[in-house]
Amino acid sequence: MNFSAETRAACNTAAAKRSYNLQRFLDGWALFYENPVGKLGVFLLACFGVMALISYIPPLIDPMYHPMTGVDPWISNATGPSAKHWLGTDNLGRDLFTQLLTGARIAFMVGISAAFMSIVFGTLIGMIAGYAGRVTDAALMRFADMIMVMPSLLVVLLLASLFGQLNIWIIVLLIALFRWPGVSRVIRSQTLSLKQRPFIDMARVAGASHMRIIFRHILPNVLPMACLYMTFRVTSAIIVEAALAFLGFGDPNTVSWGMMLQWVWKTGHMFQAPYWLLPPGICISLITLSFYLIGRAMEEVLDPRLRKEENFE
Amino acid sequence: MHFRKLIFRRIIEVMAIFFLILTGLFLLFHLSPGDPVSRMVQPGMSAEDASMLISQLGLDQPLWLQYLYYVKNFFTGNFGISFHYGQPVIHIIGRRLPNTILLFTTSVILSAAAGVFWGKLVAWYKGRPIDTWVTILALVCHTLFLPWIALLFIWIFAYHVGWFPLNGMITPEVWINPSAGFLTKAADIGHHMLLPLLTLFIIHVGSYLLIMRSSMLETLKEDYILTARAKGLSEKRVRNRHAAPNAYLPVVTSIGLSLAFSINGGALTETVFSWPGIGRELIFAVSNNDYPLALACFLFISLVVLVANVIVDVLYAYLDPRIRY
Repeated sequence: MNFSAETRAACNTAAAKRSYNLQRFLDGWALFYENPVGKLGVFLLACFGVMALISYIPPLIDPMYHPMTGVDPWISNATGPSAKHWLGTDNLGRDLFTQLLTGARIAFMVGISAAFMSIVFGTLIGMIAGYAGRVTDAALMRFADMIMVMPSLLVVLLLASLFGQLNIWIIVLLIALFRWPGVSRVIRSQTLSLKQRPFIDMARVAGASHMRIIFRHILPNVLPMACLYMTFRVTSAIIVEAALAFLGFGDPNTVSWGMMLQWVWKTGHMFQAPYWLLPPGICISLITLSFYLIGRAMEEVLDPRLRKEENFE
Repeated sequence: MHFRKLIFRRIIEVMAIFFLILTGLFLLFHLSPGDPVSRMVQPGMSAEDASMLISQLGLDQPLWLQYLYYVKNFFTGNFGISFHYGQPVIHIIGRRLPNTILLFTTSVILSAAAGVFWGKLVAWYKGRPIDTWVTILALVCHTLFLPWIALLFIWIFAYHVGWFPLNGMITPEVWINPSAGFLTKAADIGHHMLLPLLTLFIIHVGSYLLIMRSSMLETLKEDYILTARAKGLSEKRVRNRHAAPNAYLPVVTSIGLSLAFSINGGALTETVFSWPGIGRELIFAVSNNDYPLALACFLFISLVVLVANVIVDVLYAYLDPRIRY
């Protein structure tokens, strides 16, 4: 499964560098999409994207459908699905379906921003450690080891208790701060091997500064790996946020799926209200699954060893 | 000789990491807004008791001396008095830690063993329906949201079917009964442990299975597998004796890397099932602002993760002679 003939042709004409990159991307995408795993992941993710988008609509139709403050005046305890409330309501008379839709928005927000931040930290630290070597490398990697052995959920919990109630952006930042070491290890080892390549020596001889070498020559080469790790980090960020919310340490001003599970658990409705217990858990599990599937399919595109071999077995 | 040196080096490293965590926690505790004294000493305490506790914990000393006191107190087991229980923190930890270790080690060992076993078989039958289905199942298990699956199990197996108790670790009636022997008590704990164990097992088995599968697929491409086949060894012997032992190594590494993750899961499981472990105690302490207990719980949890890491490293060195020589 090599790159197509067009790619190689594009390679030959030096002027067509841009079209070469585009073609490479398209080839990668074709490889990705040909994989049923990647296809399923993208499909699931698209469903959640649609959920997040339409979550803005119900509160406009009727303020009763506002996920946080909207209360159905005719309902005083948890009720099952009906035409008016597709998934039923919670014990305060709030509509579960709109809560579920809003949860998708929060999950995307938390997952992607926390993952992006942890990738930025991880990539920077990994590149610096790998490029600088010696004491800097050893110090940064020991620090990474230390963070890696700390259970991130429990650390964030402890911080939440020391610093008081956390809002959603602080939670995102804390998740990012405790999830970079895995990424930086991978990026570091890539940087170590890149450093030995001739083009880095050439850049140095040409008088490029360390900063320029790191950002112009090393960064573009480690970026695909960083993107891959980002999809896995999205998964773990969503899970940590959901778990925090489930334990009652979420942002009280947002409705996340973890929060919904906390409400059903804490109000003692878990045995009576399956329509309340099931949807948030299914959503958390499926959104993490979709990012995970995308990550695995990307891994196969980036790592030729994992691709399907025709002549094996 | 080399083996011992390797373990010794790892222990030194782990101790250094633990000191960093200890120090980090101290700094955090003193840098965060709020008064450390009021956090360690309960408001309702009598003046003499409070001043005794303050001098014991060194809270009236300058900061650097406080740090020394803090380290000394860690090694002498003096963590202050829990607000909620009104007892020395170390006693509570002493009661909770064994319960956590029991649940944690059983779940890690069982899920790793099952993951390795199934991963081995599935890789062997690559491309067949059993491979596809088990891989999909493993992926789904791996991404399930733990507290939710725990609630679901309680709802189905404990509430509707009634096979298992709703929560807790023991049935008091069984333990009060003086005629109850060791076996009865152990069976009672086992009965309570089954659902939490199942939850942790399902969450962890998927990732071990996937790692074992891909590692086994890599190993099967090696030349010595071809040699083994050419020698005319039976398929089973090639799989179990020649391929699998080499494929174990990445799984062992991943156990080490995922220990912190497993402890997170353990704390959530303990909380949902009211299993009286140290993770649940930490979450409780944090909710009640019981700082002496929360800090001590956190330190001991880190200690458990670090010790488990050393054990995993030793196991790795034992399985892979190349590390030793």
